[in-house]
Amino acid sequence: MASQNVDPTRVNPNTRKQRDKSELLSGGLHSVTQRLQQDLMTLMCSGEKYVSGFPDGDNLFHWKATITGAEGTAYEGLEYKLEIEFPDRYPFAAPKVKFLTPCYHPNVDNLGTICLDILKDKWSALMDVRTVLLSIHLLLSEPNNKDPLNAEAAQMWQNKTEYAAMVQRKHREHAAKTE
Amino acid sequence: MASNATEENASENENKSEPTPSSSQNENNEPNNPNFECNICLDTAKEAVVSMCGHLFCWPCLSRWLETRPNRSACPVCKAGISRDKVIPLYGRGSGDQTDPRDKTPPRPQGQRSEPENNGMFPGLDMGGGWHVSFGIGAFPFMFFANNVAGFGQAPAPGSPQAAQEQFLSKVFLWVALIFIFWLFIA
Repeated sequence: MASQNVDPTRVNPNTRKQRDKSELLSGGLHSVTQRLQQDLMTLMCSGEKYVSGFPDGDNLFHWKATITGAEGTAYEGLEYKLEIEFPDRYPFAAPKVKFLTPCYHPNVDNLGTICLDILKDKWSALMDVRTVLLSIHLLLSEPNNKDPLNAEAAQMWQNKTEYAAMVQRKHREHAAKTE
Repeated sequence: MASNATEENASENENKSEPTPSSSQNENNEPNNPNFECNICLDTAKEAVVSMCGHLFCWPCLSRWLETRPNRSACPVCKAGISRDKVIPLYGRGSGDQTDPRDKTPPRPQGQRSEPENNGMFPGLDMGGGWHVSFGIGAFPFMFFANNVAGFGQAPAPGSPQAAQEQFLSKVFLWVALIFIFWLFIA
């Protein structure tokens, strides 16, 4: 009965919030979703040998990706799992990419954070998931040793055999732990 | 062929809410032509603009990109300098039927029509409309340059604030140069 006394012209704050959200979905987030679907299409159709990625569950804004080390590098044949988080402003803001598998690399810290210019200030709206993953794949064999997150790895980089052994060992240690 | 042409002519006069059989056939022949896709949303460019470096964008996409980094705007494709005034809107056939995109926010920049370039023998010395002299004085350790001294209040594009500023600067430099010459004579 009490609900009948409510002024019908007054807008219920809850319904207003819902409407705002639907407007946001139709305008902003809808185009982001569309763009992410495009990204997925491009990645699937390109048939990349070393990188792959797919949305994690129903959430298109959260992806799981895999990068395999190229032949002739210290990372040869090693598979690394990554996590990609897309902001609401994608592609105007860079996605957040993190290694889930520990990666011994001068520009990756022990939490999996990647220090890569295109994921920060050099981000361009032109880039998509495929180019981001390929850039990280390339970073594995071409580290930037001038500004390392992992100084030990940067120092060891000079000694190729020692470095490769360390990378393989770290990867094996993680594999043993997860099994 | 003839029937197709008449169909197209008829469709021009009609309200284009539904694609005619001939136009839909054309679309099927060229599926997802990537040449006309926006470099940001990767979809067919809507309210298209093209940058001076030749890259195609939707105006809503590009304006949002420019908003995200107002201090250093670069073309997302080639990192060339880009700004609101340096993009050209593209108007395709039939775009007049739609509502004017400039009414929406953010407005798409207007088309610009620049005057044809003057291919005179002396690019600095143009005696055409309003005399136009350019000269420079170099002396160690000081160097003064007076350039584009527009005489008798005739600026390249009268009325615009840039032209007024340019004129003011050129006058300042002219006076500085004259004072310098005078000082050279005295010393």
